[in-house]
Amino acid sequence: MLVTAFYILAGLCFLLALSLVFHRNPMVAAVSMAGAMICLGVIYTLLHVPFLGVFQVIVYAGAVMVIVLYILMSVGQEELSPPPGTPQLVFTWGAALLLLWHLRQTVVLPAGAGTSQPADEAYGTIQQFGELLVTRYAVPFEVASLLLVGAMVGAVVLSRRRWE
Amino acid sequence: MITVGHLLLLAAFLFVVGIIGALTRRSAIIVFLSIELMLNSVNLALLAFNRFYGHMDGAAFVFFVLAVSAAEAAVGVAIVVAFIRKNGTTSIDAANLMRW
Repeated sequence: MLVTAFYILAGLCFLLALSLVFHRNPMVAAVSMAGAMICLGVIYTLLHVPFLGVFQVIVYAGAVMVIVLYILMSVGQEELSPPPGTPQLVFTWGAALLLLWHLRQTVVLPAGAGTSQPADEAYGTIQQFGELLVTRYAVPFEVASLLLVGAMVGAVVLSRRRWE
Repeated sequence: MITVGHLLLLAAFLFVVGIIGALTRRSAIIVFLSIELMLNSVNLALLAFNRFYGHMDGAAFVFFVLAVSAAEAAVGVAIVVAFIRKNGTTSIDAANLMRW
């Protein structure tokens, strides 16, 4: 049951990712990206971390994709320049296939991969996650908040009108 | 049940699709979205190992990656808007200021 759901979601996610990369219309590509993010959020839920699935849908399918769609609707919908030439395509597909092959060769899964169940009942609860965030990952948590403030200031500075 | 191999396979495919998009598309916005797709595939791999080893550190890393990618999205979109305002196009071929 879970495996069937995972296969459907994974196939859908992959198709939407292909649509993001290969569709000529940027609007369709961006909406495909939002769909892929929602599929990934559901997969996270299948992996017993439902709060990360919720974050994924809120942050990606909500915030990021809305910003991108807003930009696309206001400025970015133009006909693109001619498609990439043959050397570029050969290089890209070669690099991609080489990377896949390399991953296949080098990733060695531990023995009994996939047969383990979570150790205890508390696995994946937001309580366990929250405790981890305020104990072991307290400093990275604060650094992330500083980073978000810095990014906000940077975005405001960058969008000032001074490109004449 | 879902094995870690399934998840890593999906993550690898998504990463490769993201690379193809980032290297072949001309629209700056699509390149940006492809990079986000690559970030997400790495998140998926982290969560696969997180589940396999039965602890929550991978989830914490994914949480921080989400925060960083939100910051990256804000700054990235601001850069794209400034780029469009300066060049009048989203094509990254126009970004040739530092070309030798």
